[in-house]
Amino acid sequence: MTVTLWPMASEIEVKTPAGLLAKESAVDRANRFTNDAMQYTNQLYAAALRYTKNPHDAQDLVQDTYAKAFTSFHQFEPGTNLKAWLYRILTTTFINNYRKDQRRPQISDGEIEDWQLAESASHTSDQGKSAEDEVLENMPDGDVKNALEEIPEEFRLAVYYADVEGYSYKEIAEILGIPSGTVMSRLHRGRKLLRELLVAYAKDRGYAKGFGES
Amino acid sequence: MSFGQHHETSCQDVLNAMIFFIDQEINDSNQLMALEVHFQQCPPCLQEMEYERKVINQMKKLLASSCNETAPEELHARIAAQTALLAAQMSAPTQFVTEYRQSQTTVITDENGSVVIEETHIQIQSTNEFGEFGKDFPLS
Repeated sequence: MTVTLWPMASEIEVKTPAGLLAKESAVDRANRFTNDAMQYTNQLYAAALRYTKNPHDAQDLVQDTYAKAFTSFHQFEPGTNLKAWLYRILTTTFINNYRKDQRRPQISDGEIEDWQLAESASHTSDQGKSAEDEVLENMPDGDVKNALEEIPEEFRLAVYYADVEGYSYKEIAEILGIPSGTVMSRLHRGRKLLRELLVAYAKDRGYAKGFGES
Repeated sequence: MSFGQHHETSCQDVLNAMIFFIDQEINDSNQLMALEVHFQQCPPCLQEMEYERKVINQMKKLLASSCNETAPEELHARIAAQTALLAAQMSAPTQFVTEYRQSQTTVITDENGSVVIEETHIQIQSTNEFGEFGKDFPLS
């Protein structure tokens, strides 16, 4: 006869690895993140559209940006500019995940140092320039959006952060991860290209009064 | 560019610095004052600066009204769900070890009436990776 006894001595023990408990619980972090960061979703989306140029990718980019921001939220220094921090993550996420043609030649910054020469040689303002304000007066929103999409990414983003978001050169440099001097030249060149395009659109449509006559 | 002595500031220097003046990127108070004095004294430079500033401001308004897209509701919901999921994963341990121990005692009585007791100890250890059981065992 064989009697097998299964005593009550069985035990299950779950061992928690050391150092697991962070100072801030995940729930607290999620609450803080929701309160502080989620208010910028619309602005991040509008910015993301400047990067991706299509709504589907822009939504994915914003979602990925928030995932990355949440998992590194402990690195954010409270009291500093949270929106700019999110824009920085948006930029790096775009560069790492979304830029379709990673190997496309980057515009060398040496090539665009001539903005000063082109912009402000003398007082002798040409006729065309003096009517830009009239052209812009009647510009449809769609044209502005198209023109912004047409200019190269580097210029588009500098213009967007300066002229829509109102960031300083230094802040834009941090968001885009480039030197301030580069921001300066991209911004000035970008504005110039944008204005030239809008004037060209206006000419094509025939609503530029001060251009192409005489 | 340097124009520390304002009376010597040339129109060329002012025009070169004009865009920084408009963008409020001149932090040196001497430079700023030199420009302001020059604009007061030189109507053509002032006119040029004011025109440029007007166009830049017009452009800012146009850009602001064309780039004000709002995110679809679905995106807000996706991000909220994602945050909740990441928080849940984060509150779970990255790895935990389950140990199962059991002792078995076997009593054997043979035909001669003698009793043999055998004891067997079993120990099973399993390691679960992040996320597998994390949601079932909140360990905070």
